[in-house]
Amino acid sequence: MPSRQTDLLQGTLDLLILKALAIQELHGMGVSRRIAQITEGAFDVKAGSLFPALHRMEQAGWLTSFWGESETNRRAKFYSLTKAGKKQLHAESERWERISLAMATALRTA
Amino acid sequence: MISRLRALWNNVFRRKQLDRNLDEELQAYLELVLAEKVRAGADPEDAHRDARHHRGGIDQVVQSVRDVRAGVFLDRLVQDVRYGVRTLAKDPAFSLVAIATLALGIGANTAMFSMLDQVVLRLLPVSDPERLVIVRETGNHYGNSYGPNTISWPMFEDLRDNNQVFSGMFCRFPTSVAIGLSDHAVQIPAELVSNSYFQTLGVKALFGRLIGQEDDSVPDSKPVVVLSYSFWRSYLNGDHNVVGRTISLNGYAMTVIGVAQPNFDGVELGSPASVFVPIMMKTEMTPHSDGLKDRRRRLSWVTAYGRLKPGISTEQAQLSLQPLLHSILKMEVEQPEFTRSATAADGQLFLRNRVELLPGSDSGLREEMRRPLLLLLALTGAVLLLACANLANLLLARAAAREREFAVRLAIGAGRARIIRQLLVESLLLSGAGAVVGLALAFLAARVLLRIYLPADAVAEFVISPIPDGRVLAFVVGAMLLTSLVFGLVPAVRGSQTEITLSLKDRSGTLSGGGISLRRMLVGIQVSLSLLLLVGAGLFVRTLRNLENLGPGFPTDHLLTFTTTPTLNGYSYAETKSYYQRLTVDLETMPGITSVGLSTMPILRGFAWQNAILGKDFEGTPIEQQPVLSQVDPNYFATLGIPVIAGRGFTAKDVAPADYAIVNETFAKEYFPGRNPIGQHFGLVDDMRAVIPNTEVIGVIPDRKYRGLRETPPPQAYFPSTEISNIRGMTVYVHTQGDPRQFEDALRDRMRQFDPHVPVVDLQTVNEQIGFSLRTERLVASLSGVFGGLATLLAVIGLYGVMAYVVQRRTLEIGIRIALGATRSNVIAMVMREVFFLIGAGLAVGMALALVLADLIRNQLYGLSARDPFTFVSSAIVLTLAAGLAGFIPALHASGVDPTTALRQE
Repeated sequence: MPSRQTDLLQGTLDLLILKALAIQELHGMGVSRRIAQITEGAFDVKAGSLFPALHRMEQAGWLTSFWGESETNRRAKFYSLTKAGKKQLHAESERWERISLAMATALRTA
Repeated sequence: MISRLRALWNNVFRRKQLDRNLDEELQAYLELVLAEKVRAGADPEDAHRDARHHRGGIDQVVQSVRDVRAGVFLDRLVQDVRYGVRTLAKDPAFSLVAIATLALGIGANTAMFSMLDQVVLRLLPVSDPERLVIVRETGNHYGNSYGPNTISWPMFEDLRDNNQVFSGMFCRFPTSVAIGLSDHAVQIPAELVSNSYFQTLGVKALFGRLIGQEDDSVPDSKPVVVLSYSFWRSYLNGDHNVVGRTISLNGYAMTVIGVAQPNFDGVELGSPASVFVPIMMKTEMTPHSDGLKDRRRRLSWVTAYGRLKPGISTEQAQLSLQPLLHSILKMEVEQPEFTRSATAADGQLFLRNRVELLPGSDSGLREEMRRPLLLLLALTGAVLLLACANLANLLLARAAAREREFAVRLAIGAGRARIIRQLLVESLLLSGAGAVVGLALAFLAARVLLRIYLPADAVAEFVISPIPDGRVLAFVVGAMLLTSLVFGLVPAVRGSQTEITLSLKDRSGTLSGGGISLRRMLVGIQVSLSLLLLVGAGLFVRTLRNLENLGPGFPTDHLLTFTTTPTLNGYSYAETKSYYQRLTVDLETMPGITSVGLSTMPILRGFAWQNAILGKDFEGTPIEQQPVLSQVDPNYFATLGIPVIAGRGFTAKDVAPADYAIVNETFAKEYFPGRNPIGQHFGLVDDMRAVIPNTEVIGVIPDRKYRGLRETPPPQAYFPSTEISNIRGMTVYVHTQGDPRQFEDALRDRMRQFDPHVPVVDLQTVNEQIGFSLRTERLVASLSGVFGGLATLLAVIGLYGVMAYVVQRRTLEIGIRIALGATRSNVIAMVMREVFFLIGAGLAVGMALALVLADLIRNQLYGLSARDPFTFVSSAIVLTLAAGLAGFIPALHASGVDPTTALRQE
């Protein structure tokens, strides 16, 4: 799994986190696990980048958090998308699709 | 939005809690990682080691999360501020108007607040000033009293030695003393203090020592003096070798023992003391008057202070002291000096006197200024509110004009909260700049106003510090935050509600409402507020005019006055008597001076010498009906232009043992009703001996005022000063040819030549003296006038702005009307209808408010009702004219709309 890891592009992490939380609220570990799952292991997000990103996005008003209980029966902080977060996910996805399309086109013609 | 605000709150104010939460969050994460590894089949031991290894990395995570939190907040703030400055700079006219408006509003409030703070709110600069109380006895005194807060020296000793509630008590007596300088003498304020004064207050010496236990054992034994810091600086040039030197007070050599800490100049605000002298030196400091040694219980002269023991409240102390006072009073009513002058009924009344504890920082000035200053602060508050309404109006117009900008920002993903924040930051920038300018204005204004409206010696009373202290700064910051919220929030919220789709189309401006109804409402509020302020100003100006027109009951235009007290310079009674005889002769030869009169009591200074009298037909007089008295020389009434309307005036021949009096009409009516007062007799009640009524009334003068302008003339009796052998000092009245002001300097020089050792005090024209007695009313009248004008100006600007905006938005409609045949006057009438609707609505609300609020200022008025119709109507007319004119300009513009251009633009 580590061998196929890809470096995260600037802004990609935010989009991945938004996407990971689009279906259900998750705690930090859950977000990291979900991202690995939906990218088929391409990204393994470490605590060092995950938590700053979660807190930054919470500050930006995209995420909101609450304290719940984890699978190990321990108090854990769960995150979920806000309305602004959903909008952001929508906008970011569109932007990303445009970029990836442009990149793909660019790479093909070159 | 809510969650964002909460996050912000948490960030700034709940850092610790946040860090704990973060710790817990990361701990849970580590455990989950561990559990997952174990589940995936890893050896638990290895996994644990791994987890511990991870923990090192956790600190880094914590740090970077913290950075993110601080960074996001700061980044956005910097961004918003930068963007805000840029936006404001793009529209300098708007920004300048906004900042100037706010600066005026905040400046006026700050000036009033700093006066209120320094005159009324601030406590004495002593340790724990809130535990210091004045101990006073309420009820009647039956004897001589120096003021409502005074008690007798024996009473003070009894209270000091027998109370359970004070950790310390002291008393004081303020007086004037003459200090001898090299070639002349000046009179300075002094405080006679009991030995525990400084210790109980917790005031320290700058150097040397203060008056203490050792200075208060035997009367006359301690000729020592402590200097106040400012006196030491101004009169002794801050000489550090001053301790041990002797200075001459009232001709006595007194040794300087120390200088008190800076900023402490006595316990009475507005009456600073220059020197502090042990109360044991009373005889020397107040010649020929001694309540200390003769221990009379019927002479109240010291003000007593106590420091509450820890844990004892004012109420508890009051309850505990009451039985003590009662036992003292019971002993006092038995004494001959009481029974001689008071009836048994008086005794019962006297026993009902109670102890009352007042805050130790109270003073007459504080009492006098509290209501006027609170009132002025309320007025400036209204002005600031008006300024805010104006700004909200301007910002609403701007928000409407910026709809496209907001729409674009919303479209590219900015949250509405972000836009609100952006606009609030702009408001804060404006109010911040306004506050800075306002702070500068406040201190200029406070100084200038005080200088213009108060005589020079009054300015010293109001120590307005040029450097804002923490409290004033806190007030300014509070005012700034509050105003930016008040004027910024509504426009900001409206701005953020911009509809993206509508606004991005070209004709956005004409489609949406632009908050026009809100803006109309703001203008209505402005009109009401300025009506309130105008009515207030009108009432106060008319009050001042009424008081000025009152007059004292005799002509004052050619009168100069001053006071001398030769006994303070060690003159005997005989020397004092000859001093005034020579002085009268000397001054009468001065060119331009037509007459000189003398009196032992100054008039119109709030002082009164009152005493109970008795006659053939009346025995004693209740306190409230005691006449006011004075001793005057034969020229006194002529100098003051007061005619003797019956009988005769005094002559130089009226000397002891003759016993004559001249009374006023009220006196005659009060005590000799239906009889010819001439030839009647009365006598002064004296607690030292029995009295025979043998003073004969020889003349009657018309009523005139005695203590001040506001009083109805009390019963008055005058005795010839030539009869009296124990005069300590007199007030001199000089009648001049022409303007008396031009004689002030010459008179001062003449007095210096006449006797350099007797200082001249309070030399001024009687008109200046009267003006000074109205200083509070003048301050209130002129400031409320300024604020009323300012408020009207703001309201007029606001109305103009809204109407100009309305006309601009309705250009198309107006164009069509004109095209369909409306005349210019039709259009003007259409616009003016709206203008007058706005003014009318504002006036109606303002009138209702003014009628309700008028009761609050009733006590500050004189000679007119708080609902004075003339003031109300004229204020409304002035406001209607000014605002109508402001509305007429846009109306005129509207009538000039060219239909073809208007239609083509669309």
